[in-house]
This record gives sequence, C-alpha cells and structure tokens, in this order.
Amino acid sequence: MNIQNSKYGLISADDHVQEHPEVWTSRMSKQKWGDGIPHVITEPDGSECWVAGGRRVSLPGVAIAGALMGDPQREPRRWDEVPPMAYDPAERLKAMDLDRVDYSVLYPIVGGLAAESFGKLEDPDLELACVQAYNDWLIEEWASISPRFVPQCIVPIWPMERTVAEIKRAVAKGHKGVIYPASPMELRAVPHVNEPAYDPLWGICEDLNVPLCFHAGASPRIQMRPGPGFSPAVAAAFSGVVRSVSSIAVLANFLFSRVLYRFPNLKVVFAESSLGWGAYEIEYADYQSAADGLESEGYSLKPSELFRRQCYFTCWYDRASLRVRKYLGTSNILWSTNFPLANSTWPSSRRHIDASFGGLPDDERREILFDNAAKLYSL
Amino acid sequence: MEIKYGLISSDSHGQLGKDAYTSRMSGSKWGDRIPHVVEVREEKFAHAVERWVVHGEIQGGNVCNCPTAMANRKYYPQRWEEVPLEVYDPAHRLKALDRDRVDAEVLFPNGPGGTFFYDDADFELACVRAYNDALAEFRQVSERFVPLAVLPFMSPIETIVAEAERAVEAGHMGINMLADPSVAAKGLKSLGDPFWQPLWDACQQLGVGVHLHASAGLAGQLSLPRWEGFTRRQSHCVSTLRNFCTATQIIPFLIFSGMLEQFPRLNWVFAETGLGWVSSVLEACDHEWQKRHLWSEGLITRPSELFRRQIFVDFWFETVGVQLRDYIGVDNILWESDFPHITSTYPTSWDAVEHSLAGVPTADREKILFGNAARLYRLI
Repeated sequence: MNIQNSKYGLISADDHVQEHPEVWTSRMSKQKWGDGIPHVITEPDGSECWVAGGRRVSLPGVAIAGALMGDPQREPRRWDEVPPMAYDPAERLKAMDLDRVDYSVLYPIVGGLAAESFGKLEDPDLELACVQAYNDWLIEEWASISPRFVPQCIVPIWPMERTVAEIKRAVAKGHKGVIYPASPMELRAVPHVNEPAYDPLWGICEDLNVPLCFHAGASPRIQMRPGPGFSPAVAAAFSGVVRSVSSIAVLANFLFSRVLYRFPNLKVVFAESSLGWGAYEIEYADYQSAADGLESEGYSLKPSELFRRQCYFTCWYDRASLRVRKYLGTSNILWSTNFPLANSTWPSSRRHIDASFGGLPDDERREILFDNAAKLYSL
Repeated sequence: MEIKYGLISSDSHGQLGKDAYTSRMSGSKWGDRIPHVVEVREEKFAHAVERWVVHGEIQGGNVCNCPTAMANRKYYPQRWEEVPLEVYDPAHRLKALDRDRVDAEVLFPNGPGGTFFYDDADFELACVRAYNDALAEFRQVSERFVPLAVLPFMSPIETIVAEAERAVEAGHMGINMLADPSVAAKGLKSLGDPFWQPLWDACQQLGVGVHLHASAGLAGQLSLPRWEGFTRRQSHCVSTLRNFCTATQIIPFLIFSGMLEQFPRLNWVFAETGLGWVSSVLEACDHEWQKRHLWSEGLITRPSELFRRQIFVDFWFETVGVQLRDYIGVDNILWESDFPHITSTYPTSWDAVEHSLAGVPTADREKILFGNAARLYRLI
C-alpha cells in the first residue's frame, strides 16, 4: 500500500485492545471449564479484577486505560469506569480518528501485554480454549467491523503441534501477526525457546508470511521490581521504563540463538522497544561477536546484518534515537501510539511525531510511520 | 597530575599480585582460606595449571583475566609466570599506560577481588581490607592510578562506612557497589533499603562516587534462563551483551526512588555499560514523569536533569552514544579502555578513540576523553 490509500499516513504498530468481561464467558463452555474461564470478580473492597484458571491475572486494575482516564495516575478499578474507547471497536475508531491514526495493530491486555497470561495456566486444554476464544473474539468483534484494525493472534505456548494448528486456524480467519511470549520457559515447564523443538513455530510464521511478535514484558524476572517505598504512580512509571528495556536481554539471546539464520524469511517484531538501546545493542553485538571470534563458528552474517534482514523495532516517542536510525535500518523501524496505556502519545501523537521527526527526509518519515508496517502486515 | 596524552581510562582492572592477600592476612587466623594461587590438575590440560583459591574454592578458567595483555589476545594465562608484570606490578603497569598513551586509569577489581561472599563476615572483612590496602599501594607508586575500594557488604553498616572512610584515607577515590546486594548474597539489603543511607551519606561527605560495573552482580538475574546449547563463545557474547540491561534499569531506579534527590551531591558511575541507550532511557523517564505528573508525587526534578547532575556513564568502542552525546549530557560521558579484558582497546586505544569520536569538536572531545574524569576524580 502506498500513502495515497491512507488518510492520515500513520499506522500504529503497537496498540492494545481491552477485552470486555464477556469475551471468554460467552465463548467457553461453563459446563466444561466452570470458574476456570477468564472472568471479572469483585473484591471485598469493591474493586474488580480478572481471574483465569483460578488465579488472578496480573493487571493494575480491571483494565489498562490510563490514556483515557483524565487523571494520569489512575487505572480503572471497576468495569463501569472503563472508557468505551478502550473496549468498544466503534468507539476505538473514533479515538483513532481523533489521533489521526489509519491502522492499529492490536495486542491484548487481559491476555497479557506480551500474550503471556494463558501460558501460565497449568492445564494446556484450558490454555487452548482461552486462546481460541480471544482469537475468535478479535476477528468477530473487531476485525469484522473495520479493516483499520490489524488483528494478531495469541497462541498456546506448547506443545508445538497445538501452537502451529492454532496459528493456521487464526491466520485463516484473518489474523495478520502472531504474538508469542519471548521466554515461554519462564511461564511453565516447557523447553528453552532456543531449542530446535520450537522450529515448527518459526517455520509456520515464515510459511504463512506473518510476523512473529515479541512484545516487551513477557518475562517479569528480567524487569527490576519497583522499590517498596514507590507510590502506585511512581511504580507504574518505573515499570513502564523497565518493561521496554528488559527486551535487551531478549534481543541478546535471539541474535545468537541462530533462529534468524535458520529461518531467513522469518520476520520478528520487538514491540514496545525503543531505538536508542537497540542501536547500541546492535553496534555492541557486532563488536563483541568479532572480539569473541564468532566468525570461526560459521556466523557469516554480522548481528546487524541479521537484524536488518529480519527484525523490527516499534517506537512511540523516541526523539534523540531517530538520529541513529541507520544502525537499525530505516526499513526496520515501526511507529506506534501505545494506546490506551497511560504512557501513550494519544491524543496528541502528531505533536510527538513532529517533535521526533524534525529534520528527517519525507521519504524516511513515510517509511517509518506507514510504509514499513503496511508492507510487513500486507495491508 | 600532568595530562600528557589527553586520555583517561575510567574503567580498567587492577590485578593484585599473588602474595597480596597472604602477605596481609593473618596466617594463623585464616590459614588456607586466604586467597592464594595453587597448582591444580584440570582435565583439558596435559600439565598442571594454577588457579586462585579463596576460602577453599577454586576460581575456574584461568589464573588471571588479562587476554589483551598477552601476545595472543584471546589467551587466558594458565600459570602465574605467564601473567605479564604490566598487569599486576604498578611500576611496570605504567609502561603499559605509556604504550597505550593513556594518562591515568581507574582501577576496578580483577579476580579475586570485588566480592568475598563465603558466608563469613569476618573473613570477608579481612579480605576487603587486604584488597584495599594492596590496591592503595598502586596510588603510592603513581598518581596515574585511581583505585576504587571494595566493601565488606556482610558487615554492619558502621563497619562498611568505616572501611569506606579508611580506604579513602588510604588513597581510594570511589567505592564499588552492587546493583542489588540482596540478590548477590543472602541476608543483604536491597539497594533502595534505608540500611545503606549512612554509606551514601559518607560517600557524599567524602566526595567519592559510587561505582557499578557492567551488570554489577545482576547478570544472572536480568537475563533469560541460560541455554545449554550455546557454544562458549556464543554464551560469552550473549552474557556480555545484555550486561547493560542492569544500568538501563538501575538508573530509573535511582531516579524514581528519590535517592538522587535525597543525596544531591553524590555521584554514581556506570562502567562498561556503553552510552547509546542512555538517551532513550532518559527520554522514557522524562516521558513517564511528564505523563503521570510525578512532580505531584514528590519527584520535583525532571529525571534527565537528575541524571546530568549526578550520573556518569562509560564507553569504549562505540559510535552510537557519541552521536547522541548532546541528549545524554556531554559532561557525563567517560571513556574507558577496559584493560586488560577481552574487549579492551589496548594497546591501540587511540585508534578506537578516533573511530568513536570522528567529527566531534575539540571542546567535547577533551571533556569526553579526560576532562570529565579529571573533574570527577579531582585529578587536575
């Protein structure tokens, strides 16, 4: 697609849908799954939260919608406080128009910012049922309303036959990307993600030509916890910063795991990352692999070359970092608004973009804001 | 001191001699637990090799981490006699500095040094004192050496503070700190715990910075679980590469915990962490601060201003961060050679410098290469 087909010239490559309370209850058999079905419960203090498989889903409240709350320090505590633009697709389109966004690539919230929630469930059958309900809902209630929504499926993390089968099913229904938590072995007892056992996952994404998306936040372990004295607002700010940079560890592992070598047509998105540390990590990877003599182990491509061939970063307010975009490659950068998280640039994304893109040539600006994502998601 | 070459390494590693501990610690009290070098047999070597042994634990892999000081830059010495004098003898080490055309160097530990966690606070304290005394002697040989003290983390805070004060009196110009002591050893308090406040206060009073090196003890924590399938080289690449993950999270921690506001004249130095990531982390902190109105939560000062007031970051090979220097703070950037470790720029550091600083105006160059370090350590 080229710019003429767009109204605003902006694809947000990392936004989140807020799942409403009936997403799973209306699609999963109560008889079969009982209280294991993801649903909202009321706490003794009157606040509401999500539970799935008998465990609380780790969210600051019943939803994440900080950008819409008016008070930047507040997240909804009860469902009736959640602004419709978070969960209602017709309202969401209005939010996109307000912020002048053409297309919105969708990641979950209850399903996990990095699609990690259901991988933690002990029962793989329940995991599959939850995943399928999410994937069906996103097509039925969002993608069918407007082609401006770019749906991405979540998947059962293991076993691989199920992962692959669900990807095939979801892509056939219209999903355009696959979200996979980058460190599945930290969710439950499954093999290390570098093991060849995961080859079917990389292979099917390559075959179906859909990007595989690692969103920041898949592994709480690699994120420092806020200090005991942090207020909720300060803790949320701190977590927002460290969630993004925790992907440093994910990228370090992935650059040397040889997956990119073995699947040269696989496309990998590091969502909610940031250019600055990425540019540094790529330069460092080239330097360190030379210092360690990795070329003697059959690495014919430098880490930077692998990255440029197959990987993407998504950014949303980086300013300084665009000056070093050449280290990643202009074609490897996607933009986003991170709606409706509290740190989203909505509804003034255009002002942030103008501040970030000052001095960039028009063609590079267009690539980063629109063309790269349009090509990656075949829009 | 005189600046002859115009280059100060803010992160090098000072190796102590093999008798550094045995000559300073009580043999009758500590016996074989004292760090010393012993001959051992290892399966992959035909001949006996030598290793440091501390508290009965053999430190594996080599007898000295100094490959860039060797003729073969990827070789780690297996016997003490292979270790060049330039690595552990301060008078000879000056020759290495001259060869690399470096004026001064800040000395972080080389094994065994740094931490002595053997579940015995008295033993730790004895080792720490021996280390600090031995390294202070480098500065007695030449003011071109800038030693950094290690601390007896397992002791009561009064003992820790007293050792910091004693070390500074002896010539040390900063302290080594862990990013999260509670992760490093059982029973220690985390970095943000009020337990450490007397130490921050003492360092602020003494005018010495707190130094965190590479992952600062959090390498195992802030990384994906290790994969057994990596070769040794791949594994080293991955583990080295993600070390800066610590600094990208500890700096926001220092900012959002209020510690920088609380100790406004205390400097924090991040060594071997590079620069390129700093502007994005500061932008992220400023963005969150702005979006969430954190001034109403007691964080009065903009995060990036706190950084520029109190934090220093090191680089050695890179170009990314140098290009972003105005967004980082040109007064907050230090250069390092990392001598004698595997990624060191030694003995061609000026080639690396020219590669990194191509096109940078003289005023900025001088700050980055020696001016900032000279100011931080009050060398000139």
